[in-house]
Order: sequence, then C-alpha cells, then structure tokens
Amino acid sequence: MTSIIQQLLAKSARREPPTTGSRGDPGGRSPGYRSTAGSAAGADRRRAVRSGVGATRPGLAWAVPATVFFTLFAIVPLVLVAVLSFTSWNGIGTPKLIGLSNWSALWHDPVMLKSLWLSALLTTLGVVVQTPISILLGVWAAGHQRNRAVLAAVYFVPLLLSVTAVSVLWRALLDPNFGIPSDAGWLFGDGNLLGTQSGSIGVLAFVGAWQWTPLHTLIYQGGARAVPQVLYDAAAIDGAGTVRQFFHITLPQLRNTVITSMVLMVVGGLTTFDTVLILTQGGPGTDTTISAYYMYQQGFLSFDFGGASAIALVLVVVATLLSLLMVRLTGYDRMQSTAEGL
Amino acid sequence: MRSPASVSRSRTSRKRFAVTAVACALVAGVTAGCGSSGGSSSSSSSGTIHILVYGDTGNTVEKQIVDTFNKTSKVKAVLDTIPGANYQTKLQTIINTAQAPDVFFNWGGGSIAPFVKSGLLMPLDSFIAADPQLKSDFLPSVFNTAVIDGKSYGVPMRGTQPVLLFDNKKVLADAGITPPATWDQLLADVQTLKAKGKTPIALGGGDQWPTLMWFEYLYDRVAGPGLFEKALGGDTSAWASADSQKALGMLKQLVDAGAFGTNYDSVKFTDGGSPALLAKGKAAFELMGSWEYATQKSANPDFTKNDLGYSNFPTIAGGAGNAADVVGNTNNFYSVLKNTKHPDAVAQFLKLMYSDEFVKAQLGIGNLPTTTNTPQFLSTAADPAYDTYQYNLVKQAPSFQLSWDQAYPPSATTAMHQAVQQFVDGKLDAAGFIKAMQGLPTS
Repeated sequence: MTSIIQQLLAKSARREPPTTGSRGDPGGRSPGYRSTAGSAAGADRRRAVRSGVGATRPGLAWAVPATVFFTLFAIVPLVLVAVLSFTSWNGIGTPKLIGLSNWSALWHDPVMLKSLWLSALLTTLGVVVQTPISILLGVWAAGHQRNRAVLAAVYFVPLLLSVTAVSVLWRALLDPNFGIPSDAGWLFGDGNLLGTQSGSIGVLAFVGAWQWTPLHTLIYQGGARAVPQVLYDAAAIDGAGTVRQFFHITLPQLRNTVITSMVLMVVGGLTTFDTVLILTQGGPGTDTTISAYYMYQQGFLSFDFGGASAIALVLVVVATLLSLLMVRLTGYDRMQSTAEGL
Repeated sequence: MRSPASVSRSRTSRKRFAVTAVACALVAGVTAGCGSSGGSSSSSSSGTIHILVYGDTGNTVEKQIVDTFNKTSKVKAVLDTIPGANYQTKLQTIINTAQAPDVFFNWGGGSIAPFVKSGLLMPLDSFIAADPQLKSDFLPSVFNTAVIDGKSYGVPMRGTQPVLLFDNKKVLADAGITPPATWDQLLADVQTLKAKGKTPIALGGGDQWPTLMWFEYLYDRVAGPGLFEKALGGDTSAWASADSQKALGMLKQLVDAGAFGTNYDSVKFTDGGSPALLAKGKAAFELMGSWEYATQKSANPDFTKNDLGYSNFPTIAGGAGNAADVVGNTNNFYSVLKNTKHPDAVAQFLKLMYSDEFVKAQLGIGNLPTTTNTPQFLSTAADPAYDTYQYNLVKQAPSFQLSWDQAYPPSATTAMHQAVQQFVDGKLDAAGFIKAMQGLPTS
C-alpha cells in the first residue's frame, strides 16, 4: 500500500508545478498550470509565476520527519524482510542463511500461485461490484434535497464500523442453521455458503462491497458535486434528458474520480485480510487463501518467517507493478483537469 | 533524487542536517530498545521470577497461587499474562530474549518441542528427584504429555479437557435410541435420526479442529495409540498403514451416510453455531472437548441441566485401541526456562501445583485438576457428577492422546487442519490425506 502511495506522490511531485503558483495568479480563478492548452501569454505568466515562487520553496528540512518515519517503518523493515527471505527462522534463535530455498519452494508452491489468482479475483470482483453501485449512489446523493442527506448519512454507517465487527456480524447473519439462509432456502439451498469455494468468495466480495461502497459513494458524491452546473444547463437547453446528461456529462467529468476510487479499491483488495481471517480463515481448505492471508499463515501460524518474508516481497513487487500499470494506463500521472476548456 | 543546478550552500547544509537527524533517530530507537531489555534483566536478578500465563478468566487462580507463594518466599513471583489467541506467537517471539519469563504456561507436547530442541528448557528431573511428589501426585496419562525424549519438561497447572460424545437426551428419547456403545450402533443411529429429520451429529467444520477430533478417536480405536506416536516420532509410513486406511474409510463412510449434514463447513463451534444445533434439538450428538459443558451452561442453562448427556466414544469391533482410551487436551503445563536465575524458587513454586489450595481453587472456577488428591474435593465442585465422570475417565484411561494439533509442533497445524477439512469435504482422497500427513514437519 505504502509503495503505491509513494508512487503516486512521486509521480505527482515530478509532473506538477508548485501549487503555490496560484498565489501569484492575478485572476485566482483558474491557476495557469491547470490549462494544458496554454497560449503564449499564459506560458509567459506561468514562467513569471514559477521564478517568483522558487525562492520560497520549502527546504529539505521539512521532509525530515516524514523521511525518518518512512525510513524507520517502511524502508528498514522492507530491507529486513528481504534479508529474512533468504533465511530459515522460526522466531527462536538466530536466522540461518539458506540461500534461495524459500524462493524455490515458493516457486513450486501451488498454494502461492493459487493465492495470487484469488487475490486478483477478489480485487477484480471488488472493483466490478462496487464501482457501478457507488457511482449511481454517489451521483444520486449529490443532489441537495433533504431526504437524500438523511439517507446518505444512514447509508454511510457501515463505513464507521470496524472491518472485524462487520465480518463477525455477517458471519452470524449467514449461519446456515440460524441465520438468513435457514429462512431463505429457495435462495441459499442448504446454506453451505462458506463450505464451497464459490460461496465463500461470493460472501467475501459481498461483505467487502457492503463495507466499502459507502466510502466510494462519498468520493463520487464529492466528484459529482464538483461538476459545473453550467454544463447541465447547456445540455438541458440542447434537449438532453437525465440519462443522456449522466452518460455524456457526469461520467466523463468523473473520470479522475473513477481512477482515484479504483486505485483505492485495488489497494484495498490486495491488502484484504480481516474479512478472510474472520469469515473463512482461508478455507474451505485453501480455497480462499489469498496472498496476504497466506503470508500471515506461514509467518504467524506456522512460524516460518523466512517463507512468509518471501511471500511478503512477492506481494510488494506485485502491488508496485500493478500501481505503476494503473498510473500509466489511466493517465493519472498527467493530472489533467476535467474542467479543461471551461 | 537529482538536485537542481541552483542548489545553494545553505540547502546542502540542510541536507546534511537531515541525514544527521535520521541517524540520531535511528540511534535513539536502538538505545531505547537496549535500555528496556537491560531494565528487565536487572529486575529478574533482584530476586523475582516471572510467571507467564495465557490471559483469561482462569487467571484468578494463578494470581491466588502466586500470592500464596509470595507469602513465604524471599524470591517473589510476578504473574504476567498474554491475553487470548496470540499467546503462542508472542511466546515464540520473546522466549529467546532478555524478556523471557522464568516459568510459562503451555499445552505440552508439540507446543514446547521446538523450545526443547533449541535447548531453551530445563528438564525437571532434578526437581522430581528432590521431590518425587512433583511427578507421583499427578495422573500419569496427563503428566506424560510434557515428557519429551524421556525427560519431564512440564508440571500440570490447570484442568484436563478430554473429548466426549455429547448428546441431546430429549432428541435421543424421541428417536428411541441411547448413546451408542459401538460404531455400528452409531451408524444405525445416524439412519434413525435422519429419518426423523434431524442432523445426526453437529459439527463445527468451519473451525477445522472439531473435525480433527473424529480422526483422533477413530485412529485410536482402530489402531491404538501406537500409530500416531510412531508417525509423530518421524516414521511417516504409519500414515500409509492398513489401520490408517481403515480408519479413514470408516470416517468417510460416516460422512457419506450424512451424519454431519451437508453444511457443516459453514458452521463453527467458536461462534456458538454447533452448540446451538445440539441445544435447540436440531442435532442429536456433538463430539467436543469437556468445555462443551461450560459453553452450554452459560448459553443454555436449562438444556444443560435437563437434557445434556455425555458418553465416551464408541468402541470399534476388531480395533486395536482400548475402549477406555481418551483423546483431548490432557492439561496445561508450567515449563521452566533453562537460564532462570532462581531454580530453587521455581521448584518451590511448582510444588504448589498439587496443593489442596490449588485443587480447591481450580474446582471452584470449573476446571478439573489432574492431581491424585483431586477426588477428595470433587464434592465441592460446581458439577460434581460431571467432574467425577471425567476424572474417572481420565484416571482409568490406558492412553490419553493429546490432540494431534497440539502434539505436532505449531508449524504443522495449518497444513493438518486443511488436510482434515479437505478429506471430509471429499476434496482429498485417502491417498491425498496420507500424503499430506506424511508431509507435516514433526520437529
């Protein structure tokens, strides 16, 4: 997760001119850097702004606290984990260097490969299920009527509960003998939801969606409210109805919001752990053992810290590659405004 | 990071400052770490022994015993607790550091085998030579759980938890059956109960370890305790033996007969699912550790009083195991670190584990101690009939097999639980299960 955020921060820092530039913008309404199709005059102004600001750019000392924390709690542990992955260590005594054994074992481990697929599947399911629902709900909640505010507040409640509490709650609700499935046999059959692979993956995706859709709804609500009203007015004059307005104005305008939300979903998907720990414990068998849970199992249940470190490194690499890919594919790194041309 | 061409002198010096700050912080962190560990080791040399136990409601008795000890001892005992499920993980983290306790709670068997192998634990044989009661005052089948390679490493310090076949007396009476004495009767009962629309046996398969109990008893009844001991000793061919195949075949037969219903993998014991099946009369039997009684008593007091029955696991015709054998958690144990600075004080402390005060206090909170003086206090227990039944069962058992997942080292637990679940689900056949068990680390 940290790696993705770092990636995004680094990207945005590299591409984005100093935000303090707007301070020097006499108009104040539309900062120069937001317009990529700048005219010659605009470019002049931008240059002037930048040279004026260079002198007050904060020094490196300001980065010290963050650097110290990041080094202590991210870089140092990451390096230690990398070293541990070449050792055999059960937590007692000193780690023994064993070369590449953990890595070759991992390479031949069917559970590891399966866990990566399961992580990918759960992440994809999360995005596919949550995105449409939260876009629709978010756009709906962006209206200003009072009943919407009340309903949106109620709908926000799952986000306030801890993931653990939510998982325990659904575990009880889905009990095959005393929960919902026992009263809805036509839908759930014998209620063996957590005893089959498809059932338990479905439950994990559902509980994840129940918990996280409100967050993304909130993001989309904010995004939808930022869409300039003038666009809708123009479309209305052209005779576009609600549906056409949604597809031709709201959705395109929400492009960057969609990317933000998806990045969060992918990060959340890859780091899913609590729901699996409480709802399925990786079971039945290894059918929901996603990579993060597999790492926990190897490290803290089987006390194979060397093998667990190797899994952790694989997760770091996969997550970094994925985030790079997403940033590239979506054009997020260019940070273009959707208000362009207004 | 590439620095711009216009870097000024002041900025370079700022950068140097940043690096120094990072270094300082790192050094500070390291020294803080050193400082705290130094403090702990100095406190243990000033005349205290640290007793580390699993943190739960049973701690009241441990606290009481520590207080009793401190009344007469110059070396003072300090009780430390680690709450809940993280105990083994945290223990593993600290046991080889300066923060290690002098005496610690464990489950015997595989839970201490890695520590014994690493040479961290003190064999208690010299304590026992000086005070034979430290061994002779405990039931042998229990005491032996903490004997590794012929040396004693633990003294029982809580209650025993044999696995029993619990039943709902009312459901059995409605179906016109009694608790099964033989395996064939159990199979017949399954058919009778299914015809009545009941789930014959409640199983919390989602927890995985309740399923394991069926394996433990079937292997014991079919092959006797020797097969598992052999396998645990490293001779993995035992898993492929004819007896092993027979036990697996019988379990498969029970599953295929519908004894557990179809949705047992979505049911857990730990969230109250399977005990509720039994208490509400939806199921007739449940194979569970003796704590089932306490669980039912707090959740369904009326059911426990009127309709909760219990019996030993049925016999299997032609099997090598003794019908009186039991499996389960024999007890919890206190083990001693080799480098404790006060072995004499520790020896005195361990003697309290067979004292009258200890037995009465344990019985008072519902635990069943396994000392030879327990019977004289059984009448003071909260449920005398139940405790007497268990005590005699354990006392008369030729073999008390420690739960497989406690007998193997913790590194084997996950793979064992998965194999057990997959076999019962039909995702592993007997050959696959045997292969999985043969692949478990035994040390």
